[in-house]
Amino acid sequence: MGTMRGFLPLALIFSTGAVPSLTGMAGMPLGNAAPGESAYAGAVARTVKAIIDYTRWPERHDPLVLCVAGPAQHAAQLGSIRLADGRRIERRNVAASAAAIGGCQVLYVGQVPLATQRQLNAAVRGKGVLTIAEADPGNASEAVVALTYQPRSLSFRLNIDAISRSGLRIDPRVLRISQGGA
Amino acid sequence: MTTPVMPEAKLPTLRDMLARAHLRLILFAVALATASLVLSGVMVIRSYAQRNLELVARSVAYTVEPAVVFEDRDAIRDGVISVAAGRGIDRVEVHDPKGQLLVQWSNRQSGALASLSHPVNGIVWPNPATSMVQRGGEVIAEVRIYGDSEGILRYTLAGVIIALTCLALTVMATRILARRLQREVVRPLEHVADVAHAVRRDRAFERRVPSAGIAEIDRLGRDFNALLAELQGWHAGLASENAELARRANHDSLTGLGNRQLFDKHLGETIARSQRSGGAFALLYLDVDQFKAINDNHGHDSGDTALIAVAERLRSAIRQVDQAYRLGGDEFAVMLAPVFDQAHIDAVVTRIRLAMEQAYRLPNGLAVTSMLSVGVAIYPEHAESADELVKKADSAMYEDKQSRQGQRDGGALSNA
Repeated sequence: MGTMRGFLPLALIFSTGAVPSLTGMAGMPLGNAAPGESAYAGAVARTVKAIIDYTRWPERHDPLVLCVAGPAQHAAQLGSIRLADGRRIERRNVAASAAAIGGCQVLYVGQVPLATQRQLNAAVRGKGVLTIAEADPGNASEAVVALTYQPRSLSFRLNIDAISRSGLRIDPRVLRISQGGA
Repeated sequence: MTTPVMPEAKLPTLRDMLARAHLRLILFAVALATASLVLSGVMVIRSYAQRNLELVARSVAYTVEPAVVFEDRDAIRDGVISVAAGRGIDRVEVHDPKGQLLVQWSNRQSGALASLSHPVNGIVWPNPATSMVQRGGEVIAEVRIYGDSEGILRYTLAGVIIALTCLALTVMATRILARRLQREVVRPLEHVADVAHAVRRDRAFERRVPSAGIAEIDRLGRDFNALLAELQGWHAGLASENAELARRANHDSLTGLGNRQLFDKHLGETIARSQRSGGAFALLYLDVDQFKAINDNHGHDSGDTALIAVAERLRSAIRQVDQAYRLGGDEFAVMLAPVFDQAHIDAVVTRIRLAMEQAYRLPNGLAVTSMLSVGVAIYPEHAESADELVKKADSAMYEDKQSRQGQRDGGALSNA
């Protein structure tokens, strides 16, 4: 698939009401970790890359700015991502505050308190920012994507409500994966 | 007449031959129709199934693409099942670009047909339908779909069953048809055979073959009838010729009366019949008076005329059951059978003499009368054997001639 087709406005599919939470079941196997890095670093980079690949922003960004907010445990390889369509990723490490996250298309929220995560997610809502929570498996912070960790693999959870409010469109096939392919 | 014995049991009947010919024709037709239908059906179904497999392969490739990107094998399997589950697919494999198997899913079905279809799958679908999973112009996986032959087997089986049913029906129809054909064809032939048999056995030349209603057999029947008519004509001609020949052998050609042979035969038969019944009969010997004088004075033509005239008068004077014969020359004989008494014999003799008194005309125009000398012998009164009877009648006639000659010589000429 050279081009991305079949995007649906998610708001049309998922109407308001209960917020469904979708979890990747088996998930992505962990690769060999480099010395001094987290075991999940590779899988996190590949998962983030894949999600970005299947996400469409209201306008095209090249390079795509990926901000890592606060201290992150598994974000070591995020800077080396190359997207399938050839665009580059520009990684920025930013402070975990709403003032510091302007100009980001992807916001990777690291190990910060839940309240701060909520503030950050609320600050970018509707502005076309893909938010990824590293340290909120239950996704209480209402990020678009919450990473979940299994002993041997990495999964993710999509928050449909957050997607529909984010102004982004995500390939529905990815939703199927996060649903567990049901 | 000896009839050659035909080995009828070994000869096939027309009906058998018709039925066999029909059956062969129908077997051939049904086999041909079935084979071509099933074959073309299988090819059409296979081409549709092939297209279906390719479509499913593309669908699977599209569906599992993110799962491959996310390296989530369970998600790949789920994607495969969501698209490929259903009939017509035996096995789906997803390989990575290095050819390593990522996910394999088999559509395991139970049942006799499914177990039968398994070995056939490889024949019907030697190569899988493939589709590449691409991401950003890069091949990230390959989907291979192996087809299932169960649908084709089902179609083929149905075709064979239908063909067999058709065969059974047509075999029955063949028998009925053959029977009808036999009725229409064999019956006219049997008419011909019946007539031929009747002609041969009973000489029934008057029999004719009825119209058959089939051109060829009708022609045969017409020719046969014409042949019969000719045969009938020949037969009638032969019969009448035979009768004529027999009549000529036994009859005098001049007077038409029985000749000596017939007289001898009848005399023997009459004696035998009278012996059995105990009856009596009279034998009359007759001789024309002065026949030699007519012959000598007026010629042989006149002699013949005299004999014919005598024969006519003799025949008119006796009863129908009595028989007159010309034994030769001017000698005649009459057999009166049966007779009851002497008076009856006398009456006949008198009638003969009266008949003879009528004059007849000779070729030279002279009118004459011829009188007869008559001698009577009665069985069994005078004799019991033919020779004795003849002898007695002859001598009696001689006596009669003598006495009548004496009368004539004694001046009784005025009577003549």
